Parts: sequence; structure tokens; C-alpha cells
Amino acid sequence: MKKKLISVLLVAAMTLCMAACTNQADVATDDAAEEEAADDAAEEDASGEEAAGEAAAGSDIRVAVVYSGNLGDKSYNDSCNEGAMKAQEDFGVEIKSLEGTTAEEWEANFLACCEEGYDLIICSSSNFEEYMKEHCANYPDVKFAVIDTTVEGDNIQSISFAQNQGSFLAGAAAAMFTEMTDIEGVNEEAIIGWVGGMDIPVLHDFYVGYEQGAKYINPDITVLQSFAGTWNDPLKGKELTLAQYDQGADIVMNVASGTGPGILEAAKDAGKYAIGVDLNQDADQPGHVLTSMVKRVDTACYLTIQSVVEGTFQGGTTSYLTIADGGVSLTDFAVMKEALGDQFPTEIEEKVAELEEMIISGEIVVDNYEGFGANQ
Amino acid sequence: MQFSNIINASLIYATFRASTPIIYAALCAAITQQANILNIGTEGIMLVGAFTAVTVSYLTGSWVLAILISMLAGMAIALIMAVGHIKYQAEICAIGMGINMFAIAITKYLLNSILGKSGSFSDPKIVGIPKVHIPFLDNVPVLGDIFNNWAITEWFVIILVIVITFIFYKTVWGLRLRAVGRFEMAAQTAGINVNAMKYQAIMISGLIGGLAGAHLSLGYSNLFTENMTNNRGFMGVAAMYFGNAHPVFTAIGCLIFGFADSVGARVQAYGVPSQFVLLMPYVITVAVLAISMASKKAAEKKRKSSLTT
Repeated sequence: MKKKLISVLLVAAMTLCMAACTNQADVATDDAAEEEAADDAAEEDASGEEAAGEAAAGSDIRVAVVYSGNLGDKSYNDSCNEGAMKAQEDFGVEIKSLEGTTAEEWEANFLACCEEGYDLIICSSSNFEEYMKEHCANYPDVKFAVIDTTVEGDNIQSISFAQNQGSFLAGAAAAMFTEMTDIEGVNEEAIIGWVGGMDIPVLHDFYVGYEQGAKYINPDITVLQSFAGTWNDPLKGKELTLAQYDQGADIVMNVASGTGPGILEAAKDAGKYAIGVDLNQDADQPGHVLTSMVKRVDTACYLTIQSVVEGTFQGGTTSYLTIADGGVSLTDFAVMKEALGDQFPTEIEEKVAELEEMIISGEIVVDNYEGFGANQ
Repeated sequence: MQFSNIINASLIYATFRASTPIIYAALCAAITQQANILNIGTEGIMLVGAFTAVTVSYLTGSWVLAILISMLAGMAIALIMAVGHIKYQAEICAIGMGINMFAIAITKYLLNSILGKSGSFSDPKIVGIPKVHIPFLDNVPVLGDIFNNWAITEWFVIILVIVITFIFYKTVWGLRLRAVGRFEMAAQTAGINVNAMKYQAIMISGLIGGLAGAHLSLGYSNLFTENMTNNRGFMGVAAMYFGNAHPVFTAIGCLIFGFADSVGARVQAYGVPSQFVLLMPYVITVAVLAISMASKKAAEKKRKSSLTT
């Protein structure tokens, strides 16, 4: 009897465990009627533009956002999620977020969404590029959007950012900051660092801009570059950052999503400095984050959902959000100013504003990594 | 690329810093291995420990309490494994993997329900494990770089390696433990309570695993992230194999991993392709295991032939 009871309990525990493990791919199992309704709505959207007005009023649009990482990274994914949540509030759409940390999970999550009949599937990063190329054509009724890269397809909208321009400013700010030897923790050497998450093309677009910006200020500067190879190992990020500090860097730019908190923490532990990314991370380790290069992933996500709600979604298009559109920008240094007080080098702020104007006016052309830029 | 920027005094501490969590994990695996139980669940025990430590530290503001409770949490998880394996004869690898998956899921769930966060959690209210600052070393050039500002748990791991070595090879309990591991039936015949020994081994292993996790989240860093162990538990198990469950050799295996990691972090900054560098820990794991297995086989062969002649 006792054994039986225990075995039943064990089975129950196993089932629970399995359920917990697969919950990311476990897309809301609505009843069939609701699903059909959603399918109908999708068809309406696809076939007749006159139905668009009705769709906007209704809240039956279902949107899935697939992430290559976890929420709670206080960076890229959270930014995307903010946009989705705002759209949910404004338009009453249904949002489903699927997180995944490995390539297998990404593909499984993506396909689960395709099969589930969502109206719009937003792929949050370029990690999904291959799966989109392979599968999107098989789901002509589903609308797809991808952020940070360009994927060809009649039902795909691509949104990219001029992260090279924002990084240019970050690089310039870092290059000026590393000369400010009166500030505690800043050494004599003109060395700055850069730590990325996975080694994917979009991160190289960041790096190209960062390096160019730094060299614009000081042609002889050394830029150290490392990749953690993962989006969710802050300890690895911390180790890489500490290694760069050991090698003479005094300010390191974080471009690493969930690996990033470790980079910022390393700055605090070592008494050095970092630059945040995607969201405003200045206050994450106050006094150790000079500025953050904000990338408006939230805007991209919000606008895409809005376009579907309003029926203006255009497949096969690419939008490119630059510094002039406010797609990328640096924060206003407010937290750092407070931390450093009178020591804060105001010339950095002035110079950054000046460079920003020069980029907008076209006086400075920031290079792109191969495959990125307005014409891609 | 300047050689002195890669190999310098701070590399020694960097190596040790990167190795410490793995050494704890390896010790966790070594204790059960002495009783011939392969503790695959190290990873899961660590993860639960890491989560508990951050939560308790955040809620109570005491790092000592955080460590103690995370050790108990590690023991509780290990106990599930012990009961399943010893009482109900579950295959240890299967139950270990189950523990690992359970740990990922339960920490994700509790992170959401207790702390209301998803993905990661960091907060200024988390009190980390203090670092030992030795004032007189400040003015000593090289030693200051190497030995100053270690976390308490980083010093403690050295003590732990020595203590466990002593327990294994110099105490009655250690002898009995090894007897159980070598030949269970003989141990039983000699009057050793085999199951009690196994329970004790797994539970102590849980305590150390919990400590490993606490060091990871409070000593090595000051935050918790989902799946933050990131295979460090498995690397510990690999190192344990390398050291043949002898604490000192096991720790040396961990230092090799830590060294590869730290050197990798440094050469990457100078343009060595990241893919190559990130491959190194795995290549070294395979190489280290292959070498240790080959030498183990050779030793066994030698022992066998000396028995027959």
C-alpha cells in the first residue's frame, strides 16, 4: 500500500516536472472555437483590407513573442517585452512570451507558435533567422516580424537598428573617459574594453561603431574585445570583464543581454566603469555605469503590433531605425553626474551631443558591419 | 599581443576565482563517488543552493544564515536522491538528471513566486560573502595582487580540500566509506551499515553542493540568474573523475579548467577568435577525462596482473 502510494506520488511529481520543463513551449491551449475564431481573423486580415478597421477594435489578435534568452535580463529582451506589454495595454491584444536559452528551444518555441495560429509572431533577435528562412513560407497566413536582422519573405517585416551609430557615441565617450585620470579607478593607459554575448553579426555591427567612435577621439587607442558565447551566463561575463580590467581597460561596454549583469557587477567589484546597453542601465550599478546605449527595441515591437492591429502591416519590408529617428541614443549621464559630482567631465557630454549632430547631418559616416545598414 | 598582459600575477587569482565553484562541485561529487555513487545531481543541488542563498540573504540580510540555509536546502535535495536511490533502487544517473531538471524548474518558479522576478535577480539588499582584506599585503607588490580580497569561501575551499582528504584517508569513517565504495558486500560482512554510510555520503555531499551554490551566487557574484550554474556542476563531476575522487587531485583538475578559462578570457581580448577560445574548456574536459581514464585503466591492468602472478 505504502509503496503504491509513493509510486503514485512519484508519477505525479514526474508529470509536474515535465510540465514545468516544457512550459516554455506550452502555448496556451485554448478551446477549438476560440482558435478557429483567431484563424478567421487572420484570414480576414490577409484577404480584405476593409476588415482592418474591425480588427483594430477587437481584442482577438494574438501575438507571440519568441526570445532567444530569458526575460529579466534588464536589457534587450526586457526592452522588447516592455513594448509588447504596452501594446497589450493600448490595443488589448493577447501576448504570449516564449523564452528559451538553447537553439533547440528556440526552434521548438518558434514552430509551436507557427502551429498555434497566432496572428503575429515576433522573433526578438537574429538568432531566429535560419528558422524563419526555413519555415515562414509554410505559414502564409501568419504574419512574422524579426528585430535586429533582415529576412526576406512576403509575410515578414524586418526591423533593424543603426546600433553602429549609437555605439560610435559610446565608443567616443569611453575613449574620452579613459583619459580622465583624476577619476578614481581610471588608469594611464588608453585601453577600453567591449564584451559581447554570442558572436553573431549584429554584435559586430555594435563593435565596428564602438571602435570607430573610440578611434575618432584617439587614433592610438586599444580596444579589447571578448565574447561570452552565451546570453545568460553573468558569471562568464564577469570573468571576461575582470580579465579586461586586468589588461588595462578601465571602461567596458556591455552588449550581452542576460550575461550583462555580470559585466556591470564586475565594474562595481573592481572599482572600474562600464557602459550599459539596450535599456537604461545607468542605475543598475550606480556610479559605475557611465552611460547606456539605449536601443529602442520596445518601440520596434510596439510599432509592429500596432501595424497589425491597424491593418497596415506590410510583409517584405525593412525598417531601419537610426540615431536621427531616436532608434538608438545614449542616456543623459544623470546617474554618473550625481555619483561623481563636480568631478564629472562635462566635456564628454558636450562632445557626445556634438558628435550626434554630426552623425545626423551626415558629416560623420559610421561604418557598418557587412550586411548591415540602411540599404540592406 | 603582449605576453605580459596574458600571463601575469593577477592570472593566478583569476584562475583560482574561476576554479573555486568547480572545486566545491567536484568535492560534492567526490564524497559520493567514494561510496561508488555517481552524483550527476551536483548541478541541480548547486542551483538550488545558489537560489536559496540569494533569497535568504535578500530577505534576512545575513550571509551566514544564507550559507547555512542553502547548505540545508542542498541536503534536502540530495536526500530526495538518496531515498530514491538507496531505498527504492532508482538508477542514480536517471534520478540525478531528474534532480537537475527539477532544480531548473523549481528555481524558475520560486524566482517568480517569491521574488516576483523572471530571468535574473539582483538587488542592493543582497548581502554578499565578505572579502578578506589583508592590509599589510597592500604594499607588497606581487602577493598583494594575488592574495588580497579573496572571498571567505575562496579561502575556505582550501581548508575544505584538506579536511576532506584527511577524513577520507585518515579516519575510520573515511575508511568505511571507501570500503563501501570498493566492495559493498565485504563492507557489510565486516559489520558496516552500508546504507547508513551511503545516506551520510549523499547528505554531506548535499551540504557541500549547497555551499557551492551559495559561493556562486553570493561569493563569486551577487545575483541569481536562471540556470546560473551553466554546467559548472558537470565540470565538477568531470574533474572528480580526473582526480579519481581524491580531493587534492580533483582540485588540481578544477584548477586546470579554471586556468583554461582565465587564459581564454585574456587571449580573446587580443583578437584570438572567440569560437576557438570558447571551445577550449570542452576540449580540455575531453582531454583531461581521456588521460585520466587511460591512466586508470593502465593502473587497473597492472593491479590485476600482480594479483594473478
